[in-house]
Amino acid sequence: MNPKRFSSSTWPSTTVKSRFTCGFLRALWRINRQRRTTSASSREIRRRYLRVKVAADVSMASAVGSRRAWSRAILLRKIRNQGQNGTVRVRRMSNILGMMRKRNIRGNYKCTEEVGTCQAEQLRKLVPGGEEMDMCNLLGETAHYIECLTTQGSAC
Amino acid sequence: MEPNLGTIARSISIRPNREETGLESLQFREEIHRLMIVPPENGSSFTALLELPETQAMELLHSPHSDKGVTVPLSGVPLHGINDDHKSYLPSFNGNLTFPSNKVLIERAAKFSVFASGEHSPETSSVPSDSSANLEKVKSEPADTDSNPNSSQLLVSDPTVNIKNQRSEKRKEREKKGKGCTKKTKIEISQDAEKLPYVHVRARRGQATDSHSLAERARREKINARMKLLQELVPGCSKISGTALVLDEIINHVQSLQRQVELLSMRLASVNPRIDFNLDSLFAPESGSLVDSNFSSMVSPLLWPEIPFNGNRQQHQQQWNFDALHRPLWGREEDSHTFITMENSLLSYDSANSASLHSNQLKMEL
Repeated sequence: MNPKRFSSSTWPSTTVKSRFTCGFLRALWRINRQRRTTSASSREIRRRYLRVKVAADVSMASAVGSRRAWSRAILLRKIRNQGQNGTVRVRRMSNILGMMRKRNIRGNYKCTEEVGTCQAEQLRKLVPGGEEMDMCNLLGETAHYIECLTTQGSAC
Repeated sequence: MEPNLGTIARSISIRPNREETGLESLQFREEIHRLMIVPPENGSSFTALLELPETQAMELLHSPHSDKGVTVPLSGVPLHGINDDHKSYLPSFNGNLTFPSNKVLIERAAKFSVFASGEHSPETSSVPSDSSANLEKVKSEPADTDSNPNSSQLLVSDPTVNIKNQRSEKRKEREKKGKGCTKKTKIEISQDAEKLPYVHVRARRGQATDSHSLAERARREKINARMKLLQELVPGCSKISGTALVLDEIINHVQSLQRQVELLSMRLASVNPRIDFNLDSLFAPESGSLVDSNFSSMVSPLLWPEIPFNGNRQQHQQQWNFDALHRPLWGREEDSHTFITMENSLLSYDSANSASLHSNQLKMEL
């Protein structure tokens, strides 16, 4: 990857960022290729926007990898959607499911409700894949998610 | 005498193999009583008992645990009982019974100052109290270290401790005793390095030593640590005190970040037709140019941070706003190469959202 050669200083952030930008640009290019008309219709734009948003999320998740629960949730969601459309990537799905099974043994352990539950519910809705996480994992995932959202925003 | 000991040892070694599920405690008691009976009958010291069972029992059972049975006789008991199957209790327990070397025990007793203070006379009283107080004590150290001359007492207290250990199966923590033994000194025992997935929590003075409360406390500490991390991440959160408000801030921050990304992606989606260029040329200077474009990009979100995205109905309205704001930015970016600037502006900040406007501007730039 060319950008990786240029990456300097902090190793992890630049690679995640560069990986994300590469994947994102590639996805954008693919989406752009699919465009048939240059119509300015709102519906078309809306649909493209959604596709770009999904592409951003997925490229971010793939840049992070399957190490984080929220990235796994995003990728699984994408695979499920793809499955509905008929294209299922079996290899990736099995990898991610295996990861999820390994990690979620601990993750599904419901923590005691200590902090405000309404806020916890809100957080769970915001963070992808946060539905089944206990409080401590949820907080950790939120932290990583915030980091990656900032890199996403700064890269665009 | 010796055949008796041999048979007893063999019976002990055989019986544990049969039971691997919950009834070891009872078996223990029986074996221990049997063992207890033996020394007084024979009048021989416990060392005689040591020789035979040591060799035989060790051979019979200690195939995997021989090392631990010898070197770590005391801590081996609770360790194995919790870690492995109940089968492991027995070899290690037999290792305790065998007492390969009393010197080892004495050394261990010297190590743990708690027990160093306890004399042998009050042992009987202190040991049961200790074991009762140590619901969480996986290491039956008091019982073990007190056993040197008072093997019987050890044998009696060991099963009780073991039973309690077995009862509290869901062990999450080991309590380092700071409180709980009223009769002994309050010195905390340093646990050996155990490669167990347990959370070691220090029970401070005046705190409950119940297993549940310990688990809750450990969890609370974990949660508090993560909250601190989050506070550092989110700007402006470190001044706020109180978890509820901090959480509100965090939620707001996450929502704003998501909205930012959505807006950027929306802009990109509308600008998409412009990505017709050679991506290789794009990729090469991309890393450097991204950094440059960051500044311009960060400016724009700040200019209109709260524009609600209500779908495409308002897009046209926004276009004109964007145009007005971004013409100056656009002009600034024209200084560099056309290809790169166009990609930069695409990536960093797009002025117009409508395709028509874009095409016009493209013509202008090219």
